[in-house]
Amino acid sequence: MLKDSTLIFWFVLSILCLFSLSSQKSASGQATLASTPEIFRQYSEHVVRIEVVEIGSAAKASIGTGFYATQRGDIVTNYHVISKLIHAPERYRVEVTNAKGQTGVVSVAGLDVVYDLAVLRGGPPAKGFLKLETTQPQQGARLYSLGHPRDLGLTIVEGTYNGLLQHTLYPKVHFTGSLNPGMSGGPTLLQDGKVVGVNVATEGEQISFLVPVERAIALLEKTAQSEIQPAASFLTEVGRQIDAYQAAYLSGMFANSKPTVVLGPYQLPTRPAPFFRCWADALHRKELPYVAITHDCSTDDYMFVSSQQSSGIIRFSHHLFSTNELDPLRFFALYSAQFQAASVAATGNEEEVTPFRCETRNVRVQSGKLRAVLCVRQYVKLPGLYDAVFRAATIGSRNVGLVSTLSLSGVSFENVQTLTRRYMENIRWRR
Amino acid sequence: MATLGYLEVLDPKGRVSQRFPVQSLPLTLGRAYTNHVILDDPFVCPEHLTIGYDENGRLRARDVGTINGLRAIAGGQSVPSLLLASGTEFQIGHTHLRYCETAHAVAPAELDRAGMMRCFTSPTVGLASGLVLLGILLVNSFFGSYERLNIVRSLSEVLMTLTPVLVWAGLWALVSRIVLNRFHYGQHFVLSCAAVIVSLMVSTAAEWIEFIFPTSQALWATAIVGSGLILGALIYGHLGLASLMWLRSRLWAAVAVSVAVIGLGVMADYDNRSSFSTVMEYSAILKPIEPALLPATTMDHFIESTHHLKEELDALARKARSSQP
Repeated sequence: MLKDSTLIFWFVLSILCLFSLSSQKSASGQATLASTPEIFRQYSEHVVRIEVVEIGSAAKASIGTGFYATQRGDIVTNYHVISKLIHAPERYRVEVTNAKGQTGVVSVAGLDVVYDLAVLRGGPPAKGFLKLETTQPQQGARLYSLGHPRDLGLTIVEGTYNGLLQHTLYPKVHFTGSLNPGMSGGPTLLQDGKVVGVNVATEGEQISFLVPVERAIALLEKTAQSEIQPAASFLTEVGRQIDAYQAAYLSGMFANSKPTVVLGPYQLPTRPAPFFRCWADALHRKELPYVAITHDCSTDDYMFVSSQQSSGIIRFSHHLFSTNELDPLRFFALYSAQFQAASVAATGNEEEVTPFRCETRNVRVQSGKLRAVLCVRQYVKLPGLYDAVFRAATIGSRNVGLVSTLSLSGVSFENVQTLTRRYMENIRWRR
Repeated sequence: MATLGYLEVLDPKGRVSQRFPVQSLPLTLGRAYTNHVILDDPFVCPEHLTIGYDENGRLRARDVGTINGLRAIAGGQSVPSLLLASGTEFQIGHTHLRYCETAHAVAPAELDRAGMMRCFTSPTVGLASGLVLLGILLVNSFFGSYERLNIVRSLSEVLMTLTPVLVWAGLWALVSRIVLNRFHYGQHFVLSCAAVIVSLMVSTAAEWIEFIFPTSQALWATAIVGSGLILGALIYGHLGLASLMWLRSRLWAAVAVSVAVIGLGVMADYDNRSSFSTVMEYSAILKPIEPALLPATTMDHFIESTHHLKEELDALARKARSSQP
């Protein structure tokens, strides 16, 4: 009995403890909740709704968010929010509506395609602006994101700061909170109202990304003195920025043969830079008379060029096929099918890219022979930039084959050739 | 009495429907029973034409003054009289006539193609060629697949090819029946099987050529030119079995079919190349071969050979830009 009553005592005690903990938690929750309406009240008037209007129908084609960032009323938003204006200025205009409901047509003052930022000028009068300061919040710091999700009206979203992404070529803030379409270009603030970043992308539940505020500060400084230019002239600037970006990040890629991965009898390139992420898998099913092993690597950085086109991604993959059951003719039927183009998907439309043109050769590399194909297409509006797919299949073995694919987007033709060559050199047979 | 020649009544296709020996001159033609040659043509007068020697001793047909007259075939106009040589054709009323002397040369005998094809008529040959095709298709299906052997799937694949062959031969047999009163199904089937076997062999050869010489465009050439030629040859063969067409006209028909198929193929290919697509088209055929036997270029040469892609794409992009507002 005594034992039972002791148990009951401890049980009651633990319930009480739990209750007190949860009440503490809700008290702190209330404290946060109390500040959120205050933050919204204080800062929402600096946030604007951005609408891209199709001139012919005078109807909105897309919407986004922006915020006043300077004394003179420069508005910061994402490049992707207003990209339609850059690509077809004759068909679109950009209208900005402030918190008071005043509306005005704005012009582009500057843009940063790599980081997906734009500065707009000439909208309705600003009452004030949000302060942009280089800050280093602690991981877990509370953040407040403002924007117009799905055009449902200005909304505030709470989340946490989770540092800068480690595996990207250029930094991005990892924001744990729900960003939704329409919030792009909106500010994400600390409790004191300092902007930490600009809403830019989401990768599903609670995983969102911000452009670091330093990039917005840099763009504002760069455009402070610049005159308003016609939107069409920015297309050349988009091309120039992508070209500079690819020239910088591709230099030296695949130049040395390390690191490598071994697949069957081959030694192949993998993770040529820290901003690549690689995955591997194997298809080993009883009903199939062959085994397929896959090794994929890809960059996470991509640039939004237009709604149909993104750029700046490098992907490569190695697919090893081997069999103990199939005779050479049947194995090569499999190998040919895997080497077919259908397994490489490409998107795009006629206004933005040309069709692909391909060159196929049997090529002698250091330790063997390859069937090599290079397919290239050009960006119509950004001359000098190309998408390319290089595919190679090893020749020689009767029951093992490797199909390796390198996909580049938004690179110069010289870089297409240089990287193709370096990549080919890195496909090696183990002796 | 010796026969001087023959007067022939021709049907609209130029074939002889009646033949009258000319044994004495002058000869009279008309609808009345008093004539030597009686013609049942309502547009022919009771006394219409006489044939006899003129004052110069030449054989001449004379209109005796009729309402519909005498019409020379060469030239087509009405004439009061017409000199007759061997082979001269003329018309009275709606009746088409020809005069031929006994010395008139005739065409050599035509080869009896049905007789020549007799070896194909036996059911054994038809069955054998069907079995050969079946075997080749099965082998092809087996070596073309890379999954575990599945008899039902292989057979259904083979039947998918074999059925159109059977139907195609059947259609030609129907044409034969209509034109010649004979089906010749076996022969048509043997021909169709041969065409399919040849196409399979040609495409396999083209795959190897394309693999060994990637710039040869062998697959393209086979797909367009090869198929046109094989179809032309097939049509030539079928027409031989299903019609009485002369060799020359069959040849023309075959050439016309080949040219049409090749032309359509080239047009479709051009259309395909000039229309926008995000698909990469290249030959992905790989074959088991000793690497030493495969001619290969150097990396430098391969990279150099891609320069032309840039020029081609620059031109395409310029064209696309100029067509945009």
